[in-house]
Order: sequence, then structure tokens, then C-alpha cells
Amino acid sequence: MDRAIEPTELTAAAAPERLGEYLAGLAPPHTHHDHGPAKTVRTTEFEGHRIVVTTTYEVTVDGKPLNVQLHVDDDGTLSCHGLPSYQFASALDSIRALIANFPEDFEGGE
Amino acid sequence: MAVVRKNILTDATARDDYVRGVGLLKREPSGHTTAELGIPGPTNPVSTYDLFVVWHIRAMMKPVPPSGDHRVRNAAHRGPIFLPWHRVMLAALEANLQRVLQKPQFALPYWDWAADGELGAPAGAKIWKDTYMGGQGDPVADGPFRYDPADPDTFTIRLRSDSNGKILQTERGLRRIFGQGPPIGSPTMPTSTEQKEALAFDPGTADPVDRYDSSPFHVSSEGFRSRLEGFAPRNNKPHLHNQVHMWVGGDMGPAHSPNDPVFFLHHCNVDRIWEGWMDRYGRLYAPDMSFPAAVYEGHRIDDPIVSPLGPSATPRKVMDMSTLYVYDVKP
Ligand SMILES: [Cu+2]
Repeated sequence: MDRAIEPTELTAAAAPERLGEYLAGLAPPHTHHDHGPAKTVRTTEFEGHRIVVTTTYEVTVDGKPLNVQLHVDDDGTLSCHGLPSYQFASALDSIRALIANFPEDFEGGE
Repeated sequence: MAVVRKNILTDATARDDYVRGVGLLKREPSGHTTAELGIPGPTNPVSTYDLFVVWHIRAMMKPVPPSGDHRVRNAAHRGPIFLPWHRVMLAALEANLQRVLQKPQFALPYWDWAADGELGAPAGAKIWKDTYMGGQGDPVADGPFRYDPADPDTFTIRLRSDSNGKILQTERGLRRIFGQGPPIGSPTMPTSTEQKEALAFDPGTADPVDRYDSSPFHVSSEGFRSRLEGFAPRNNKPHLHNQVHMWVGGDMGPAHSPNDPVFFLHHCNVDRIWEGWMDRYGRLYAPDMSFPAAVYEGHRIDDPIVSPLGPSATPRKVMDMSTLYVYDVKP
């Protein structure tokens, strides 16, 4: 059980043939972002009460709806799946960061 | 024989081998096509190097547990699996580099970014010189990964992720935009002090394993992992690993960040810091298997890591990699 990875095992698994085959089998995710704005549901208990907070963000950029995977953590911090290393205090900031980091997806502007 | 991973700034051979090996893997057809990998657009061959870009994006989009939400925890980030998953990915790249270089003793070099953070002017650091990784640009115009559209062998970004993590085809040069201000990037790099603080983090509980990560094992749960990943402490600033991605900017921001060869040098250093942590406190990992699969599957000690190794690679089985590699110096 504690046995470490064998070098031969690693080499075999890392071979392009095998790695590519594995990746082909990693089913592309079901894209719930194709079905309208992403929702976050936060729940907690407080003094014997059950709290449910549901958040959705409807965003447009230049009048066009942006299907963006904004997520709200329990402490209110926002993250956006396209930028895995980022977290935001503001939804506006998250969209600013997307526009700046995905220039191909936001043509026009200045 | 275990190979020895060294600082790229002190080992010119490792640097030159890395640059050459990346070039070889970029040009090597993996035998797989975009169509086979479910990537929209025309059917094109995918290089071995680019398989690692696909792997990173796909792991990020994979919720663990399968019924979970990939935005909460995914197979590679935002939870305890962050360090083991990237460790396996790096070892797989290292094995491919050894193969194409025909050099079994090749070891992935690391980039000690906290040392650059200490300098205060990291854009002028040696790592970005022409003879190392080249500097910033859109596209990068110097160094081994510069873009020259007239050269058919030039370093080209062919797969990218969009703002939702979907893989798309493209054809352009590498992009780096250093030190942008918030919210676009990070104007500063992590310092050695912050690295030391993460290593020394003590939750003050009786169980030593709590130092690694603790319930609810999510993005910013208390522990060394969330600090090294860079989501904690939460004070509206990025930290360590995240901060480096944000400081480099350009292609290091999106899910397709392995497109920049500096990604692997960065993560090799992250892995080295983890190794330094285990030197201090032992080969400890949380959560163990007593945590329910319905919530934590994919992040527990004996759960398979999302990799072609299947059940042969679990956090427990990758905690000690000393049969494969060791580091010259640990923090
Ligand atoms: Cu990553």
C-alpha cells in the first residue's frame, strides 16, 4: 500500500500514446455554463436556523451575455474558473480580469 | 538511481537540456489528434508537450467527487490534492524529457522564485534573460521560446482555454505580461519571509497532520497546502504559488498555463517547498479515508490521482518520490 511509484510504471504511463489515450477518455465536463448563469448555493446553520443563500451573476459585456463560471465561497470570496489562481472581492473586478487575460475572447474595446 | 533536481540558475546543463527537451516535445507528434481529445475545430495532431496542457485543463474541469462542483474543489486545485496531482504531472513530464533527450539522468530544474521576490525588481531577474526563459512580451520576443512567424519550428501556442475552461485551438506566440496591478495580475512576487511563514504554519492542534490541511479541506481551509497554493490567508492578496502565476501574467493566468515552459520550473519549486515541509514534519497528508467519499473523494490519501497511473498513484504513494528524484537543496 505504501509502495512508491515504480520508475518503469511511471515511464509507461507517461508515454505519449498512453497519456493521450487516457486524456481522450477524460470525459469533457458537462457544460452547465451552456445553460444560463452559474449558480452558487451556500448553506449553513445558525442558532438552530437553516440558512440558504443562492447567488447567480448575470453579466453582459458590450451588451452580449457572458456565460461566466463565477463562484462564491462561504466567506464571500469570488473565483472564476477560467483563472484558477485568482480570487476576487468584487464581481466587477473578476470581469475586468477576464477581459484583460482573455483578449481573444473580448474583441473590440480600446 | 534517483535524479537530482537543481536550481536552474546554478545548473547550465539542466537549463540547456530543459530548453532543448521542451523543443523536442513540442515538435513530437503524440499520435493523438484534437478530434480524439474532444477539442473543437479542425482535426490537427497534438504534440506530446501539448498533452500536458490538455491534462491540466481537463483535471481542472473535473469535479471531485464526481457528483461535486469543480468550482469548489477539482482534481488538481483548490484542495489537498493540489500538491500530489502536480507532483505526478511533473514526474510524467520529466520522464518524457529523459526519453527525448536520451538522458536518463536528466532532472527537471526548479525556479526559486522567492529569491527573486526578495530582489524587489523581479522583472530584471536572471531567469528572464535571453539565455534562460526570455522575458515578457505579447508575443515573447527573446529567449528560446520567442515567436518568429517566419520560422516553422518557432515556439507556438496551439491549444488554449477560454474564460470558462473550454479548450480551443489557436496559433500564436507565447504571452507574458509581468507585474500587472490588481485585479489583472500581481505587482509583486512572493518573498522568502512568506515562504517561511507557510512552512512554519502551526494550527495549534494536537494532531500533527492538521498542519498540512484541515476540515473542510476546501480552497482556503487552514493549513500549509492552502498557504502554498496561495489562497490563504485571505486578505485580498494572492500568495506564493498563485501570486507567481499572477505576476508572470499572459499565458500563466488561464487554465492553459502549462503552455509557458516556466510553469514546470515554477511547480518544481512548489514541489520542492512541499518536500521541505515533509522534512520538517514527516510524510503526513490529510484527509485520510475516514472522511466521506460523497464530499471528499479525489482528495483523500488513498484516492487515485487523476492521471494515467490510475490507482498506482495516490497521495500516499507519491509522498515519497526518492526512488525517482531528490532535490539538491530544500527550503
Ligand atoms: Cu495547476
